[in-house]
Amino acid sequence: MSRKGSLRTYVLTRLVLAIPTVLILLTMVFLLMRVAPGNPIQVALGGHLSQQEIDRRSAEAGYDKPIPAQYVEYLGDVFTGNLGTTLTDHRTVTSIIVENGSATLELTIAAMLVALVVGLTVGILAGRFRDTPIDLGGRLFGIVVYAAPVFFVGYLLQLLFGSTLHWLPTSGRVGPVTEFELDTTTHLYLIDSLISGNFNAFWDAVTHLILPAVTLGLLVSGVLIRLVRVNLMQTMRGDYVEAARARGVSERRVVLEHAFRNALIPVVTVAGLQFAILLGGAILTEQTFNWPGIGSELVRYLNERDYIAVQGIITVFALAVVLVSLLIDLINAFIDPRVRY
Amino acid sequence: MNLVRRLGIAAVLATVLAVVAAGCGSSGGGGGTIIRGTTDQPVSYDPAGAYDLPSYDVIYNVYQNLMTIPPGENKPVPEAAEKCDFTNPTTYECTLQDGLKFSDGDPLTSKDVKFSFDRNVEIADPNGASSLLANMKSVDAPDDKTVVFHLKQPDATWPFVLTVASFAIVDSSDFPKDKLQPSDEVIGSGRYTVASYKPGQQTVLEKNDAYTGDDPAENDTAIVQYYDKSSTLKLDVENGEVDIAYRSLSPTDIDSLRDADGVSIVEGNGTEIRYLVFNLKLQEGTSDAQKLAVRQAVAQTVDREAIAKNVYDDTVDPLYSMVPQGLEFATKAFAEKYGESPDEAAAKKTLADAGVKTPVPLEIWWTPSHYGPSSGDEYAEIKNQLDDSGLFTVSLKSTEWTQYSEAAFTNKYPQYELGWFPDYPDANDYTAPFYAKDSFLNISYDNPEMNKLLEQEAAETDEAKRAQLFKKIQDIGAEEVPTLPIWQGKQVAAVRDGVSGVEDTFDPSFIFRYWLITKD
Repeated sequence: MSRKGSLRTYVLTRLVLAIPTVLILLTMVFLLMRVAPGNPIQVALGGHLSQQEIDRRSAEAGYDKPIPAQYVEYLGDVFTGNLGTTLTDHRTVTSIIVENGSATLELTIAAMLVALVVGLTVGILAGRFRDTPIDLGGRLFGIVVYAAPVFFVGYLLQLLFGSTLHWLPTSGRVGPVTEFELDTTTHLYLIDSLISGNFNAFWDAVTHLILPAVTLGLLVSGVLIRLVRVNLMQTMRGDYVEAARARGVSERRVVLEHAFRNALIPVVTVAGLQFAILLGGAILTEQTFNWPGIGSELVRYLNERDYIAVQGIITVFALAVVLVSLLIDLINAFIDPRVRY
Repeated sequence: MNLVRRLGIAAVLATVLAVVAAGCGSSGGGGGTIIRGTTDQPVSYDPAGAYDLPSYDVIYNVYQNLMTIPPGENKPVPEAAEKCDFTNPTTYECTLQDGLKFSDGDPLTSKDVKFSFDRNVEIADPNGASSLLANMKSVDAPDDKTVVFHLKQPDATWPFVLTVASFAIVDSSDFPKDKLQPSDEVIGSGRYTVASYKPGQQTVLEKNDAYTGDDPAENDTAIVQYYDKSSTLKLDVENGEVDIAYRSLSPTDIDSLRDADGVSIVEGNGTEIRYLVFNLKLQEGTSDAQKLAVRQAVAQTVDREAIAKNVYDDTVDPLYSMVPQGLEFATKAFAEKYGESPDEAAAKKTLADAGVKTPVPLEIWWTPSHYGPSSGDEYAEIKNQLDDSGLFTVSLKSTEWTQYSEAAFTNKYPQYELGWFPDYPDANDYTAPFYAKDSFLNISYDNPEMNKLLEQEAAETDEAKRAQLFKKIQDIGAEEVPTLPIWQGKQVAAVRDGVSGVEDTFDPSFIFRYWLITKD
């Protein structure tokens, strides 16, 4: 079979496999939410109204419909793009995805930038200067930032840069007044502030983004450091690297232009997957910094047993993860001819 | 060093300097803007869909009710109404003030009042308070200024019911009659309008220039900023990102803020209570007399002062009646009967007289996810007190709120923790829900004398007679102990220097009046 033909088969197979993957995920989400005890009315008004009154209101709201009927309704809504309206605060799930998802996207992009800069730099240095104090320091740094609980790192940064030095704000996407005054078109505040020409808001957004992005980025960089180091060491042993050295290519170019490029493929895969996971909301970071992302909203709706909200958010997240991982597989298949069916 | 590198370093340095400069100083509002941080999250700003304090916080500022509780007081007075009174035991008539307007310029008439109540009943939102209107047979608007409520039974608390935020007056030409209005599109006649609402992030209230009532807002804008964690809120009030941090800072946060520069702790009388519930069907004891003895002995052993001090750092006050201090008709029935300090000897005698073998095994339930992280410490303290007396052996159990709130009221827990926020600041709201035969607690408590007293006080409008009835009710409650009051919370806020008026809004009504707050 030709290269093109087997690539097409691979793509089609992956696309087809995505469907049952998503269906299984949706079903699991649905069942988990139904199995968990309680409903939004119980959570909100338990302890204030009689259980009879709560049961009556719950029945009126349709929470006691047969599970298969609810499941069919749920699947029908998902496939027609109707993610519903939350039970607790009457928001459309779409608006949650757009507004809170944008907050998470902004944080995720910034965090990934930090992760890539730190992870690649330290990983390259550790791999290049193997078995030296630089390597040891790099590996230690990678372990520490990966192992340290993210909320703990967040608190430390808040205390140092916020409370002690008063250099940076400690919560939110922007200050309260900026939040009100900013025109939001994309809900990505860095872009919205530039679109509206509000440079004060832009700096406000930048300063608010620094601490949570660094906190989250350091965690992810811990993963990348070790991966880059190991892969770089492997590629540095390749014959083409020796050949490049023999041709008189500078060591810097050998490392960055020859060895590193080939070491990048698995790093791209892992970074992409990390990105997809973070899109679901880095809950601890968001809560620590009061970042109104989709992760913290998901936790809130879970606690309130708002199953419409939870189903909708996880559905979109599941679809996003499946899509991103599919994209990564396709990119890898395109780059690496060994990846085929 | 080449030019490109130098330029790069200069750019980085300039960026760092700009970031630091931007980060320095508070980003709080100007003199006309008050920023309050809170961990509460509202449900709806449509009164028909609200039955929670966070929603009420905004509703009281955006709408008017027929009646209201003035700052520092605990009795209803007319607000949108000029006067209200019973014309007979089951008919309550209000006359509206002249010239009332909604913020969009629409006149506010009795038609809007009738519409507000009728739609509340019709929508019967699962999260709403329409059940408080169970005694309302109908409401009429015979002319533009007159509203007449026809009740099913005499109800002395009806004026209080009219103060509840869920029954604020909405614009009949803008609000749908059969569903809720989105929170960012509500219109009221109050001191503010909702300029912006971003769920989970903030609500912005702007002064309503069309407001015609008393005490217009003393600031231009009030921003309510929402937080997931109290620790982040604490940092932000310390750093000046918010002017007021109110609901809910932990006792540790409050303690830490007492020493913070630029921040003061403001306290006021609160009417949130916590209490222990006894399920009379499930509790220890082989007879009614023995069960009563166990309950009384627990009442004699629990040290409320120690709980208030050790667990809550005195941010709560010991509570000696289900009716908190600060409300009319509140007594200290438990203190009068059992004393303010624990008396283990008396507890021992109570149990011995009833033939109860000691130590009495007690299973007490609490929940970590609804009443804050201090619940665990509180019940650990209670357990220690009861165990140390030698009269009880307590096993503590806990579960998450959703399961807890159903199990507690369906005869699964013999003893359990509960809290209570008032619907309105009247002693009726602290007695009838707990002591009536059909109490939501479902604890098999049925005292005919108590039931009769509760019926009488609900219908009694004479204050002196009500006082006598409530004294008797509280005395019986202390004697029979179906519930054991433990503490009442103070309202506590951390306030930046230069901000005043917060203390003026702290009163038993729990109405947070943004309009009283000013900032230098």
